[in-house]
Amino acid sequence: MSRGRRGAIKPVATREDDMRLTRRSFVATTAATALTGLRFSMRSAVAADAKVIKFGMPQDFTKIYTFVTAEYSQGARDYFTLVNGRGGVNGYKIDAEVSDHANDLPRAIEAYERLKREGMVLIDPLSTPVARALVSRALEDKINLVTAFSGRSDAADGAVFPYVMPLSPNYWTQAGLIIDFFRQQDKDLKGKKIVLVHIDTPFGKEPIPIFQALGQKLGYSFETFPYTPPGNDQSAIWPQVRRAKPDWVVFWGAGVGQTTALSEAVRNGIPMDRMSSSVWISESDMDVVGKDAVKGVLKFEPCASGRSPKVVADIIKEVAGKGQGAGPEAKIGTSYYNYGVMMAAIMVEGVRVAFQKNPNGPITGPWLNDGLTAITDFTAEGLLPAMTVTKDDHQGGGKGRIARWDGTKFVPQTDWFSANQDVVWAEIKKSAENFKTTGK
Amino acid sequence: MDYWLLGELAITGVLVGAMYGLVALGIVLIYKTSGTANFAQGAIAMMGAYFAWAFSSAIGLPVFIGIPIAVVVMFGFGILVERTMLRRMIGQPVIMVIMLTFGLELLLRGAVPGFLGSAVKRLSLGIPQAPVFLGEMLINRAYLVGGGVSALLIVAAIVLFNSRLGIMMRAVSDDQTASWSVGIRVERAIAIAWGLSAVAATFAGVLWGSMQGVDWSLSLLLMKALAIAILGGLDSIPGVLVAAEIVGVCESLATGVLDPMIGGGTRDIVASVIIVITLLIRPYGLFGHEQIERV
Amino acid sequence: MFYRRAGIRHTTYRQERQLWPLPFDRFLVGLVAALLIIAPFVVDRLYLVAYLLPWLIWSSAALGLNLLMGGAGQIHLGYGAVMAIGAYTSVHLVRFGTPFELAMVAGGLASAVIGSIFGFAALRVKSLYLAMATIAMQYIVDFVITHVPGISGGGMASVEVPPVRFLGILIEGDLRTYFMALAVCAVVALFMLNVGRTAFGRALAAVREKDYAAEIIGIDTFKYKLLAFWSSSFIGGVIGCVLVVCYLRSVSPEQFHLDLSIQLLAMVIVGGLGSVLGSFFGAGLILFAPIVFNNLIGAGADRLGIAIGADLRAHLPLMLYGALIVVFLIIEPLGLAKIYDNVRNYFLVWPFRHARR
Repeated sequence: MSRGRRGAIKPVATREDDMRLTRRSFVATTAATALTGLRFSMRSAVAADAKVIKFGMPQDFTKIYTFVTAEYSQGARDYFTLVNGRGGVNGYKIDAEVSDHANDLPRAIEAYERLKREGMVLIDPLSTPVARALVSRALEDKINLVTAFSGRSDAADGAVFPYVMPLSPNYWTQAGLIIDFFRQQDKDLKGKKIVLVHIDTPFGKEPIPIFQALGQKLGYSFETFPYTPPGNDQSAIWPQVRRAKPDWVVFWGAGVGQTTALSEAVRNGIPMDRMSSSVWISESDMDVVGKDAVKGVLKFEPCASGRSPKVVADIIKEVAGKGQGAGPEAKIGTSYYNYGVMMAAIMVEGVRVAFQKNPNGPITGPWLNDGLTAITDFTAEGLLPAMTVTKDDHQGGGKGRIARWDGTKFVPQTDWFSANQDVVWAEIKKSAENFKTTGK
Repeated sequence: MDYWLLGELAITGVLVGAMYGLVALGIVLIYKTSGTANFAQGAIAMMGAYFAWAFSSAIGLPVFIGIPIAVVVMFGFGILVERTMLRRMIGQPVIMVIMLTFGLELLLRGAVPGFLGSAVKRLSLGIPQAPVFLGEMLINRAYLVGGGVSALLIVAAIVLFNSRLGIMMRAVSDDQTASWSVGIRVERAIAIAWGLSAVAATFAGVLWGSMQGVDWSLSLLLMKALAIAILGGLDSIPGVLVAAEIVGVCESLATGVLDPMIGGGTRDIVASVIIVITLLIRPYGLFGHEQIERV
Repeated sequence: MFYRRAGIRHTTYRQERQLWPLPFDRFLVGLVAALLIIAPFVVDRLYLVAYLLPWLIWSSAALGLNLLMGGAGQIHLGYGAVMAIGAYTSVHLVRFGTPFELAMVAGGLASAVIGSIFGFAALRVKSLYLAMATIAMQYIVDFVITHVPGISGGGMASVEVPPVRFLGILIEGDLRTYFMALAVCAVVALFMLNVGRTAFGRALAAVREKDYAAEIIGIDTFKYKLLAFWSSSFIGGVIGCVLVVCYLRSVSPEQFHLDLSIQLLAMVIVGGLGSVLGSFFGAGLILFAPIVFNNLIGAGADRLGIAIGADLRAHLPLMLYGALIVVFLIIEPLGLAKIYDNVRNYFLVWPFRHARR
């Protein structure tokens, strides 16, 4: 501002000057923030602790996967806290770096590069588009890319995708298992009608080849009803489903698509005990629709749910009990929380086996890969079906079970079993072959 | 041709269309008085639904007390947005204001689930699940209530615009300078328009939220609402009602008739195709007034 | 002292009409260019791949959009679709065996053709309605790509980019992809700097200001509006191709949704409509703001021991990002380029304050 001289008229502070002051300070603040931000991210690279194994967990907390990420991440982090609290693995602590990539590829790639520089050996993006974009980088950089239930179904073929680790039953396996459960219930599916209500995205369309192949094999007729993403308006779908008078309905969506599908199905009078979902349904979804309204709905369970498995009970005692839980205690034991615990347990088991094989090995991606592909008969103290991962089978055996909602919790209806793996692996091989030759 | 199916889809389309129309009502109200398009309308609907949940389930009040509180709060929020943000953008080119509303949408989509929790929330209006049967057609009771309430609100808006307040707002939308000169408080009318549009968005958010659960995806209602607003005419409230029905029925029938032929997902395309056809044939919509660009 | 204007006398018209008449400006441009060229050898790999490379690509895309929005004054909310068309066309052609140079140009041409069909809407409607029309077309292109398995790549819906050769050099690894992007960016930037000085650029400026007045003085607005869409979409198509080859290495439909279009729009507007420098600034701000906020909040929470709920912590970057855009538009609607301009004007007359230009 100008200093008025004696006698001179002091100019009144104009709005423009005020604006410029505000503008100047605003710009200065932004620039300062940017520089500090970059400095902070640089600094965290320096602290390289001696006995730490770094896992990168940039996930989508705010865009599309919000329904699952918060609980999944909470479960994984609680498990790591449990393991670290017990002294880690061979004295090494697990350091899981969690951040948000919001399903935005530049952010995801930045997180990947930054974590790579900090020495991570495993990354879990929990997002199909991000996983697909990172496949070529992970294969090149030899970093283990965990794609839990998502990503590429054909990555179960370890020969073609050595560093992509689903470590969980993929969608094709889930479809095969669900059909087998139907067959067990009905004794024979010949002449029956099975309907798939799915979200109209690659994820929703993924199980279709398996359903079709099994339909030819077992003799049932198969119809699909896609709905536009995200699925909050399925008003025109379910009247058609009702008219098709199906024997079994499989609904394949995520988040809001699932809750809407359930409420529409209820209002259209579809019997709940003839409906099954994939892995992506949880207690919170049931809560939104109305716990009692959807009694009888089936789902695919890759691991035990609830608070009774020993690992979860341990977490409640040792982690949440000491106030070190990574989120609200009410969420412990929900389906997605347990998925997080399951994946974290498998990862830690991979570390343990890696130490067994190469106790002095430098902690690198290939070192952990050796461990992950040698996991045998791992059940995480009763949480999972016995899982065996080999260099060729990154899925872990493809076992799961079907559970039914009884109004308060999911009750398993079968034992851990695997089914139709021949059809599934045929599809996996076909798709992986395609990737190898043409890069699709 | 399964006529019962078509009939059922058509009726569902009418009801669902009215519910989308409620969001479009907000957009039209704002455009009518201040000449700007509000691309944050979906996010405001989401915020209204979140507040309704927060004031009822989170605190423990019954839903029918929580909703009016949320409505009042959102009315205030609408006025706040207009005062702080839109006031400064008067005179700027349209694209700046559009960008501002996109920025506001991002801000709300981050702030509301961030502070109130991003897990899906239950908002129950107590509508029984039992369907209503009309011949062989099944009418979803939730849609019946939702569509009915939305249609009523839109009609209420039309009636409002014939009242004294409404005439004031019509004057402002017609010619701001002339309104000033006869003593109408233009700023107040615009602020009220924003407040009312936030109220409409809240009702829409509550209705949709009760069916699908309250989470960020409520902000995606924007696209359909824009299609309806354009088809009906951005400055015509009766146009909203008519266009909402047209869009709702077209979408429903398209899903029923075209999906089996094409293999899915025609619903969203219907809205886009309607927009394109409207803009090519009759840019100002069915009931809109042509804007004459003065030299 | 900086930006010294004293003593600069032009003796030919050519000298006077240079892009950067002041030697200090030329020095700055040269410095930036030199820094960008030696960057891969000096800068840490993280910054190269995660920050510089996407910045160059997104800036080029913003430049292409700026041609349409700042140059011709049209609104385009469907630029993501334009880039998608270019990306898919070129990748499919390369997989069929076409040489990469041809595939890149073909991608640009495909985008240009379809982009000018979008442009037909511009002939009918203006501003807000044009924005709606372009959004609608973005959705339609999205739909077509996702539902034609031949384009989107079948079941897995992602098409890997095979190794490509540009002028005989294999484009792979950090160094070569970076230089490829840098080269394309330089070409586009040069084009944009000079377009305002050509007849084409002047015609676009006339159409932007008042199209019926332009029509009266003899400029064919029909032709020039379509040409604006054509050239801008061509650039968008080429950039889409560069994006997938150099940065993403695989194409899938989710990368090109409405979010990308709105991101580019934000870059252009926050940077400054019509300004080349503004496109670079805007791209940098919009691209890096969420990342910087993320890192800041993460580091701050850890260091200062503030326990923020996981939900809030994940949503804070999004919130701050939206707030940043809003505040920027309110405080400086002319964008970052104007702020740079203010700084430059200040130094132009420094240390005198009152002799402002």
